[in-house]
Amino acid sequence: MLSRRTFLTTVAAALTVPATASAEEALKLAFIPQENPEKLLGDIEAITAWLSQQLEVPVTGFVTFDHAAAVEALRNGDADISFMGALPFVLAEDQIGAVPLLSEVYRGQPSYSGRVFVRKDSGIETLADLQGRDIAFADPVSESGYLYPLDLFVREGLVADAGDADRFFGQKFFAGGYQQAMQAMANGLVDAAGASQYADLYLTPEQQAEVRVLGESAQIPSHAIIARPGLDAALQARFVDAMLRLNQAENQYLLAYLYGPDGYVAADPKVYDGVRQMARRYGYLK
Amino acid sequence: MKHLIASALIGLLPLSVGATAIEEAPWAPRAAAYRLSLFMANLTPVPWEKIENNWTAPAPGSAVAVEALSRVSDSDAQNIRAALAAEDRQALFAAITTALAKGILQHLEAAEATLGQPEAAFEVAQSAALYRAFEDGILAADKQAAHDLGRAWLVLNSSLGSTGILNNGAQDPNVARFAEAQKVIVEYIETNYLPSVFVERGKLTPAPESAVRSGTPVVLPATLPPGSNIADQRELPRLVLQFEEAGEDEANLPLVAYGDMLFDSPEIFGSPARDLGIACSTCHNRSDVNRDFFIPGLSSHAGGMDVDSSFFNPMFNDREDDHLDTPSMRGIRFTAPYGRDGREPSLRSFVRNVIVTEFAGAEPTPFQLDAMVAYLRAFDFLPNPQIDEAGRLTDKASEAAKRGEVLFNTEFAGLGDRSCASCHTPDRFFRDGQTYDIGSAEPPFPGGTATPFETPTLRNVNFTAPYMHDGSLATLAGVVDWFNDTKDLGLDAEQRADLTAYLRAVGDGEEPYQRFEGRDSVFRLSWEELTTFASTLDTLIPMRDAENIAVLIDTVAPDLAADASVMINQNAKPEIYRFAAILQAVGDASAAGDWAEASLQWDAFKTMQAEIDERMF
Repeated sequence: MLSRRTFLTTVAAALTVPATASAEEALKLAFIPQENPEKLLGDIEAITAWLSQQLEVPVTGFVTFDHAAAVEALRNGDADISFMGALPFVLAEDQIGAVPLLSEVYRGQPSYSGRVFVRKDSGIETLADLQGRDIAFADPVSESGYLYPLDLFVREGLVADAGDADRFFGQKFFAGGYQQAMQAMANGLVDAAGASQYADLYLTPEQQAEVRVLGESAQIPSHAIIARPGLDAALQARFVDAMLRLNQAENQYLLAYLYGPDGYVAADPKVYDGVRQMARRYGYLK
Repeated sequence: MKHLIASALIGLLPLSVGATAIEEAPWAPRAAAYRLSLFMANLTPVPWEKIENNWTAPAPGSAVAVEALSRVSDSDAQNIRAALAAEDRQALFAAITTALAKGILQHLEAAEATLGQPEAAFEVAQSAALYRAFEDGILAADKQAAHDLGRAWLVLNSSLGSTGILNNGAQDPNVARFAEAQKVIVEYIETNYLPSVFVERGKLTPAPESAVRSGTPVVLPATLPPGSNIADQRELPRLVLQFEEAGEDEANLPLVAYGDMLFDSPEIFGSPARDLGIACSTCHNRSDVNRDFFIPGLSSHAGGMDVDSSFFNPMFNDREDDHLDTPSMRGIRFTAPYGRDGREPSLRSFVRNVIVTEFAGAEPTPFQLDAMVAYLRAFDFLPNPQIDEAGRLTDKASEAAKRGEVLFNTEFAGLGDRSCASCHTPDRFFRDGQTYDIGSAEPPFPGGTATPFETPTLRNVNFTAPYMHDGSLATLAGVVDWFNDTKDLGLDAEQRADLTAYLRAVGDGEEPYQRFEGRDSVFRLSWEELTTFASTLDTLIPMRDAENIAVLIDTVAPDLAADASVMINQNAKPEIYRFAAILQAVGDASAAGDWAEASLQWDAFKTMQAEIDERMF
């Protein structure tokens, strides 16, 4: 049974599934909340209903508090499959042997970058100018919202490691998400924000015109859909096939219920090597 | 223009950005109910039943479908119910503000109690989601307080610690730092949103009590309540302009281009429409209708609103909650008179009526009216090969439609020995230019005279649901049923289906919605439209028409910059900002009377346009 401690809400598939489907074949999906923990519920209902129909097994979905809770759910069998960022994935891979199934595609790419943003009127021209100034990152366990933007300062020799960042910056905040970090920067609460390449789209169009990019990281594999180890291979394959059918024109409307990617591609475990190295460099992996 | 842009956001939003990031994020149920209640309580007369629904049913714009009242304490719920029952605005304000403020503090307490666990971040997020309902009030009243509180929220989130992923990347919480930030927020909320007595308020706003008590005027930016949708139309109507279909470029028709710009300009309206970015095209999108337009409290359903409420122009307030379905403007030059009640005989007088009376704008100049009418007169219907020039069905129509055509032309006793075609005259674009009381509206008082409504055209009617002046019938089949029932037409099911098939045949149109492929994006459409608008400077600068140049620049320059946010080619965004800045420089020079500089900047704009055009998608 799902515990209140770890999970917010479960949504059952709306469609009736064939009576022959066994309980063992049921599929449980974990979703990660983004800015609003309650926001996904309607979306989950729509997508699990469609998946139930496609897979002919009952599919349920639930929102977890965070990536950690989703990984815990994969470990103890509360979830079979989860949506997951690249950094939490490599940590989950290390801890429980989670496997990547699919990668999201945005603007034709299954990858993106992290950026450091400042206001145009801040007078800040370089990363070095941020010494003694305040910065907001999204979350400590975030590739594009922390590690990759932070790594820009390390590569420039401004910061030795994550601990040293507290010395370099005036104050370093974790705002709780991309949107909060970007709004804090745009509203003048901090001088800079470290967030996803596309995080400026969280700002109003007017605010977007008032910010500039100070630095851009290497490419990061896009968010993934991962499975717990031991999930039935045939069911895994059927799930991947179904998700790839979302790329077809008649199904693309459903992508809006899934964090809004352009589509999915089958995951290639090798593309996460850079993230694995980054996680080791900053002490997230031994 | 903004409505046109926002429609594409869903498809363009990228990785890790929620599907509705630029659309307004959903509200926490209590915060949604609170903001809706303030908005509606400021309407005259106050729609008490709708306010009650905000709390006792899932509120528009709410993240989850729960009753907001279920999330407040019993005593707070009792106070809210009592205020609603008494229809007491001040008591309502006190009750709902108190409930919200307590919610903020309770979630912070829960976060404090669970520091170091995942629940803590959830509780802070819940608390912040409620604080959002007060945030613009605080910012408007006290910038320093808004700054200090904003920093406190940052500190809260940064002090939560993290369990990492199964302890990989774990961080300890900072209890002392959390408590310090919590104190800042708690003290402010207690002082400003939980006073023992709230000062009597005229307009209900989320401004903090200390500011209201001081008597210093607090000017909040115009906002619409949660659940409003003025800028997100999923399917863009296809615009059919007569000259364009005939091969002429709008840039060669400066009066039309200027009218097109005015049709997209909030600058011609007064506050609050102008401040909210509302233009003619917000509702009459691309000559048709924004079927997704909805403002809680003003709209009973999507695709229209009560245009003579107290919100947009109190002077024009008729004190009736009378939702009006937005009519399509396709072929409008052929469909006089104007207004659902046909009160305006000419397009020119109707445009003036919309600007001045409905949306509180300044009196438009004769030139501006000429320009808008020139543009509107170019709207044509969508071509429909199922009818000929006299409105008769062609061979392309179905057999059912042809049977329906006979019924449409049959006289019925219930119609006063007239036929449907008597008023919806096929060879007069399926309307007759007259107004009738067909029983679709109640008289204003017993024995009074009901408002007659003009006969609407049936051309392209397939794309303008819902139907009737108030949008009360969802489908054409429903319209047929309504006439059959209220006029005793005696049609059986098959006949009603045939008549509906006929309506669908004459109401059809080719390619009703704009199609986008590859670089032919929503942004590209806007780019071409905005640069066409700007092309009128070729005419206005030599005329030294600073007044109309100012309207143009104030409309086009910010829209160009804003539209960059939906470019597929995000790398080209900085160029758009520079491009918009040049246009602004034209406006600045024009306003300063420096016509040499205005010409220079205008030339620079055209040169840059030619250089960057290929990358603009």
